[in-house]
Amino acid sequence: MINTIIKRDGRHVDFSIEKIANAIYMSAQATGGKDYDASLALARQVTDYLEQKGFEMPTVEEIQDAVEKILIENGHARTAKLYILYRADRSKVREMNTRLMKIYEGLTFVDAKENDIKRENANIDADTSMGTMLKYGSEGAKQFNELYVLNPAHSKAHHEGDIHIHDLDFLTLTTTCCQIDIVKLFEGGFSTGHGFLREPNDIASYSALACIAIQSNQNDQHGGQSIPNFDYGMAKGVAKTYRKAYISNLAKALELSCNEDDMLDAIKSICKKIESDYGVSPVLSNDNDYHQFEAQVLKDSFNLPDEDISKAQVFALKKAVKETDRSTYQAMEALIHNLNTMHSRAGAQIPFSSINYGSDVSAEGRLVVKNVLLATEAGLGNGETPVFPIQIFRIKEGISYNKEDPNYDLFKLACRVSAKRLFPNFSFMDSPFNKQYYIQDDYNTHVAYMGCRTRVMTNVYDKSREVVCGRGNLSFTSINLPRLAIKAHGNIDLFFEDLDRKIDLVIEQLLDRFAIQSKKRVRNFPFLMGQGLWLDSDNLSLDDEIGEILKHGTLSVGFIGLAETLKVLLDAHHGESVEARNLGLEIVAHMRSRMDAESEKTGLNFSLLATPAEGLSGRFVKLDRAKYGVIPGVTDRAYYTNSFHVPVYYPISAFEKIKIEGPYHTLTNAGHISYIEMDGNPSDNLEAFESVIRCMKENKMGYGSVNHPVDRDPVCGYTGIIGDVCPRCGRYDGEEIDVEVLRKLKGLSICEAPCCDDNSLESDDKVTHPI
Amino acid sequence: MENQTVGKGVKFERIRRITGYLVGTLDRFNDAKYAEVNDRVKHSIQKETGEFEQI
Ligand SMILES: [Zn+2]
Repeated sequence: MINTIIKRDGRHVDFSIEKIANAIYMSAQATGGKDYDASLALARQVTDYLEQKGFEMPTVEEIQDAVEKILIENGHARTAKLYILYRADRSKVREMNTRLMKIYEGLTFVDAKENDIKRENANIDADTSMGTMLKYGSEGAKQFNELYVLNPAHSKAHHEGDIHIHDLDFLTLTTTCCQIDIVKLFEGGFSTGHGFLREPNDIASYSALACIAIQSNQNDQHGGQSIPNFDYGMAKGVAKTYRKAYISNLAKALELSCNEDDMLDAIKSICKKIESDYGVSPVLSNDNDYHQFEAQVLKDSFNLPDEDISKAQVFALKKAVKETDRSTYQAMEALIHNLNTMHSRAGAQIPFSSINYGSDVSAEGRLVVKNVLLATEAGLGNGETPVFPIQIFRIKEGISYNKEDPNYDLFKLACRVSAKRLFPNFSFMDSPFNKQYYIQDDYNTHVAYMGCRTRVMTNVYDKSREVVCGRGNLSFTSINLPRLAIKAHGNIDLFFEDLDRKIDLVIEQLLDRFAIQSKKRVRNFPFLMGQGLWLDSDNLSLDDEIGEILKHGTLSVGFIGLAETLKVLLDAHHGESVEARNLGLEIVAHMRSRMDAESEKTGLNFSLLATPAEGLSGRFVKLDRAKYGVIPGVTDRAYYTNSFHVPVYYPISAFEKIKIEGPYHTLTNAGHISYIEMDGNPSDNLEAFESVIRCMKENKMGYGSVNHPVDRDPVCGYTGIIGDVCPRCGRYDGEEIDVEVLRKLKGLSICEAPCCDDNSLESDDKVTHPI
Repeated sequence: MENQTVGKGVKFERIRRITGYLVGTLDRFNDAKYAEVNDRVKHSIQKETGEFEQI
């Protein structure tokens, strides 16, 4: 006799035959059944069956198994099928409810300090209300997509940690990122969806609009936003600012010689006339015939001696150069300030922004780069290190690499700033995989890097459009490489076989996701598509599907933990043995060849990504440790090593590390980066810093940077390396200090507290003027 | 007259780069990333190509 059953949560409750009958009746109803008594009779059979089998206290699962069996035996196949579905749905819902509610509970009642999910993405402050709300949405969406949208095979592989589907919360919503052509965007102005902004008129508004563009687009996509042509784009604003400044200063100078009150309008119309007659404007470099034409017109109009005209022109030029420099500095300072404070996504997250620059050799472009670097060096209002935008300085022979190159001075400055502020990173245009596209006069061929490493260049969908701007990644999924090695028990052939199966699975999953993305319409992306940022979106109307133009984007397969994989297969990682080095390259080259083959087959841009591991570095290893135990050198740390990196804990010289990691950059066409950890304060050893960057270039890397500690004492404002004691004011962490002592220290730096003006003056004096 | 003091409880900021992004305090790193940052060793900047060839 059954009196009690065990519920899923372990509670014992009274047995009720009616509950079984009800469940059967509900399924029967759905197929047209109306006989409750028949359901009750079947429920009795279920009870009898359970008792026969000797169940005294069956679980819910056991009862449900019995119901299925009895229904099928009695010829109620359709009802049985519905019952099974109903049961599966219920268990999905139940699973979702408990898992999701647990997560919500943690998000709501536990501080980020103690909650790993809250700290999954370091750029979101999940302790704020909006940050928490964002997490509710994100976690709910992840569960929904896992249970109801994904192919069960993909869902299982993701859930169990064979693969990781990045940005799963956005699965049904959007794509990753875009390289925004600000030159094109600003021409004639654009609309943000909240109003129309006309074409900007000076460097201040160029910089403001660049921020707005990044912010607006961040609301349409889940990944980072990149400006690939920052110097070229901003240069146009500098030119406008210079022209204005020149005209107004010339007017002032001539007012003096001519003894007139206001000559601004007169000079303006002279300028316009020369521009339309001869096609030249006043320019920063003053390397055209404008002054000559202007001198003639001024002579004819005002009957002034040559000497006065020439004096006025020189005065106007000098003043305008200085004012333009200053305005550009302020514009860059504002840009950095904005990108560190402006919020997107309901105020909880700062847009992930990147800017690429360094290849523009025009006077205007150079002025932009100089000043964005100086503003970065100066830091935010109180000297804090800016965390955004990620800045990428382009290295190119003949442009910025060698002593005689026009932008070599900017490369030097970039090293100095990076040695203090960690940005800019450096990208290498001479590495063959980047060089093959590069044409100096066309920024659309200068490979850019987005966010932490994404790269988009090849275009098998449209080979005539292998360009930087208007394209980006659509989605990416990473493979847990160490697990494949563990499962293969060191058998390399088995490892490759399993790797191929995982690649097949991920390709299929990326294509499924692409099919969902393809069904979206222009109206779903008011800025990205509505304003024509994405390549060819300007040919579509609001209700058109975007599937065809999305093919300009990339579908990327990533990987994590090459080092641990080699450790399992060969008992050594690629920092430790030549054999491991060769096998590492073989594995990654194989993955790349699979991507190329898939691209060939589908006409879509499949590419291989050296996964950055944001949010993932601990997940795989945690799951593998639970499954396979602690394996020394493999699962014994809290993280798997980033992509193809030599492990961070392994002692190795900078130059060896670069040599070993270099070849992987060629293979990972969806993005890559290598880091060197520099000892001491690199600001004291800029020569060494530069030699690291040069070594990266010589080893054909695509993208690299140098890490070093950047500490700051908010009390005295010192930035550098702080051990236990602040080297400037001598206080310990959290210790109080005498106001008088502090005042004396501050006396040295001219003024107290937020003094951006002093910073900029100081910067002006320090740097050799590149123009 | 006793001197006033400032800075009590004010912590040093320690900016680190992790998976490409800069973060101002380590508080917002998840456990795995925190462990990774702690494990990092410095790479010496000397050209010891000879030694490299021997590996
Ligand atoms: Zn201090």
